[in-house]
Amino acid sequence: MVIAPLRRKVLRDLRRLWPQALAIALVLAAGVATLILGNGAHAALSDTRARYYADYRFADVFADLTRAPLSLLAEVSALDGVLAAEARIVKLGRPELPDLTAPASMMMVSLPARQGAGLNRLHLRQGRLPDPLSTREVVISADFATAHGLQPGDGMSVVMNGKRRMVSITGIALSPEFIYALGPGEMMPDPRRFGIAWVPRDMLAGAFDLEGAFSNLVVQLAPGADESRVIAAIDRLITPYGGGGAVGRVDQVSHAFLDAELRQLGAMVKVLPPIFLLVAAMLVHMTLSRLIALEREQIGLLKAIGYSPRAIAGHYLELVLLIAGCGILIGFGAGAWLGAGLAQIYARFFSFPFLVFTRDPAVYGLAALVTLAAAVAGALQAVRAVLALPPAVAMSPPAPADYRRDGGHLAARIPLRQSQRMLIRHLWHWPLRTGSSILGVAMAVAILVASLWSPGSIEHMIDVTFTRADRQDVRITFATALAPAAFADSRHLPGVMTAEPFRAAPARLTKGSRTKRIVIEGRPSDARLSRVLAPDLRPMAMPEAGLILSEALAEALDVRPGERVQVEFLDGRRARVELPVSGISVGYVGLGAAMELQALNRATGDGDLVSGVNLQLDPAQSAAFLAHAQDAPGTSFLTVSDLTVARFRATLAENITVMITVYVALAAIIAVGVVYNFARIALSEQGRELASLRVLGFTRAEVTGILITELAVVVALAQPLGWLIGHGIARAMVAAFSSDLYRVPFVMGPQVYATASLVVCAAAVLSALAIGRRIGQLDLIAVLKTRE
Amino acid sequence: MANLRDPVIGPVIRAEGLTKVYRSGPVEVQALRGVDFTAAAGEFVVILGPSGSGKSTFLNILGGLDTASAGRVWFRGLDLTALDDRGLTRYRRDHVGFVFQFYNLVPSLTALENVALVTEIARNPMPPAEALALVGLSARRDHFPAQLSGGEQQRVAIARAIAKRPELLFCDEPTGALDSATGIKVLEALTEVNRATGATTLVITHNAAIREIADRSLRFADGRIAEEVVNPVRKAPTEVSW
Repeated sequence: MVIAPLRRKVLRDLRRLWPQALAIALVLAAGVATLILGNGAHAALSDTRARYYADYRFADVFADLTRAPLSLLAEVSALDGVLAAEARIVKLGRPELPDLTAPASMMMVSLPARQGAGLNRLHLRQGRLPDPLSTREVVISADFATAHGLQPGDGMSVVMNGKRRMVSITGIALSPEFIYALGPGEMMPDPRRFGIAWVPRDMLAGAFDLEGAFSNLVVQLAPGADESRVIAAIDRLITPYGGGGAVGRVDQVSHAFLDAELRQLGAMVKVLPPIFLLVAAMLVHMTLSRLIALEREQIGLLKAIGYSPRAIAGHYLELVLLIAGCGILIGFGAGAWLGAGLAQIYARFFSFPFLVFTRDPAVYGLAALVTLAAAVAGALQAVRAVLALPPAVAMSPPAPADYRRDGGHLAARIPLRQSQRMLIRHLWHWPLRTGSSILGVAMAVAILVASLWSPGSIEHMIDVTFTRADRQDVRITFATALAPAAFADSRHLPGVMTAEPFRAAPARLTKGSRTKRIVIEGRPSDARLSRVLAPDLRPMAMPEAGLILSEALAEALDVRPGERVQVEFLDGRRARVELPVSGISVGYVGLGAAMELQALNRATGDGDLVSGVNLQLDPAQSAAFLAHAQDAPGTSFLTVSDLTVARFRATLAENITVMITVYVALAAIIAVGVVYNFARIALSEQGRELASLRVLGFTRAEVTGILITELAVVVALAQPLGWLIGHGIARAMVAAFSSDLYRVPFVMGPQVYATASLVVCAAAVLSALAIGRRIGQLDLIAVLKTRE
Repeated sequence: MANLRDPVIGPVIRAEGLTKVYRSGPVEVQALRGVDFTAAAGEFVVILGPSGSGKSTFLNILGGLDTASAGRVWFRGLDLTALDDRGLTRYRRDHVGFVFQFYNLVPSLTALENVALVTEIARNPMPPAEALALVGLSARRDHFPAQLSGGEQQRVAIARAIAKRPELLFCDEPTGALDSATGIKVLEALTEVNRATGATTLVITHNAAIREIADRSLRFADGRIAEEVVNPVRKAPTEVSW
């Protein structure tokens, strides 16, 4: 096969420039990989969820109520816009297993009478569904089974409604309702301490005295139905039966957490790939411009012998496309690999029966196209210069660089060593290149700043939530609100040092057209354990009548202190009142509102009630306490702060370590790519000067020092810019990550900036070492004997 | 000048049996074949010869830019052939000035700053302005290389080479890229510097006429000194017919 001479030149150029080409290709690859990862993971997660929901008939509307007769179901089913409705019993139980010493809960969900029918159908992993007539058989959730090594055929005991019952496991299953299975009162899923059991209806009805009745309603909407109208109609039907207000998928816990994850992925796709592609385009431009400058005479010659400008420009574009092609291929591989890794993280977090990481050619095609466009955009400007040069001019050497206007006289006045003057003028003489190199390194710093801040802010979140606000060791939540006597009883449990009651009243808050469904928590005015904090983190005194809203809720409702909101309580007597907003508090988990306990009880009109107790314990007696507290008649579940925090930390630590490793690698690729290319170009331009200095008697170290100092100046100037950009990205991420479920506090300590700079500087030093070797190899004589 | 050539002081630079073989794959090129040479302090020597005759190799080895394959070179009592890269750098820094055909000025530094580049690292330099005055460029001290003519750039290069007060000044085709009028100015600068500083000056040239301005001229051929002529009387550069 005959290869055209220009094409042969492309291949030889590539072989000669391979380290620079590789550096550019890697930056492009990082862009491709993050594009594929972000878009691919987004598509994988949303497609998997959509298919799972459709195949297993995930409901659209969910409602809890106290007790409604089964006959009500026919009325719900008859509502306009309702395609299917199912009346269930859903109650919390407490699993008892030999390896389970910490408090745990089990969500007991009734199964429809006809096997495999209904909404929120199960995906059986192992075994079979229970016999509908059995009073012992259950199916349990896969994660809980794995965490405790349970198999079909095993038995366990579950405390239901205060009575211990033996159940036998017939199967292990997943449900679209519990993809993200968060236990009551917890911040992170913990499969050891929270599981789901699907139980034949009659057995649950017997256990919870709900024969002929139900406590939970799930509804599938007809296509095109108006969700809010259906919810309003359902609310009207269930209110007399203690209905706490129906919600759509948006407020369903599992669905909402998946949504938050999807939004984070979407934010990542918007931030990371553009950074890489921008830096890559700048690198292509820098490198190609220098290559074209060096080959000026060859270009003139090619033109003189009759090659068209288009052919010559095409030749350089071919080189760039080849580099971009390599980058795209590496990026495809890395993207697929990282995607598989992300899928594993998802598998740990979310319970899907299947998770296919998409190999959608559109995702790959788009990534390739965008990357090629970035590379070509970087090349075009440089190639345009080739087209403009007349052959005769091109063949004569370029005029020596003219430094007259480069602030030369300013630099002359400052007392500097001549070598320092050289580097200042050199940096100043190529403002575009210097600027884009600074920007490139700054981007590496920014990526790190934007990823390294999260551990600090999570610690802040934990500190505020658990050491300043909720300082109790344990919270006991009652199954229903009880008279104050229950609170008095809890004070006599073993090891209790301090006890404070609380009331949790679900309510709908409305201001104008904005409505939020939340829980108002009542606390004693002098609460010492569970406190409400002002934005300056000082405990707030509970007002006599008004509400204190969390910042997130106040923003969601767009209310300010002094304004009034409509409050509709969703249980008990379902009072509707108007209350003033007395203050704004900080809080990172969920939307929260707080009131003084007595004021809340007055507002609900339900009388003197408590929903649970916050306790401080004598650590020596905590085991005895747990044993007694779990069996206390009113107890629904216990929340142990230490366990919640430990789980929260462990889960995040694992994921953040993975994430930070990836980000550090990506930032290092940018830093090495930019610094190495900048240094190679500087060396190519100044090689002759540096060789002259060696001849004049400068030592190898002195000459290397000049180039290294130039790099150091670029890297140093990039730091503050990188901090600034990183700060901006981090702020945008905080905004993007905030949801009704949680908010991320923005905490940026000096150690974040320092670590980011340290990593980038280390990458720069590596590049500098590679360049230092080349300076050592400068051929002094050859340089001096030739014209540039 | 006579006392500078006093044998008691002895030669400044001396070479014995200098041989250089370049190997590039299987090809061997014998650039120098046993050259013996001595130069006294303050002597002005012109070296002639066709391309490839070994004169540049000879100058590069004497200047510490290249190493010999065999033979030895002494600068005063210092055996250059025994020095490593660090030692040769030290030698160039302290004792040798170079002038090349293509000037090799730093484009981002003015004439004065180009000279100061060297004086900053020299042990006993002259003020940069004085060096520029020696080559007649005081008026152009704040100009960048891009603002200077070829001859002016070469004179800056000479000023830069001699500002450290070197004992040796090596010039490889210093007028090769210049027209005759400019070339004469450069040669004048060289002879003036040689007179004023007493630096032993070796100048490689293709122009045979230039030998008349030297104390002595050597003609290289085929890696050897083929001819050596001592001029009883040195001509001024302006008297040379180009």
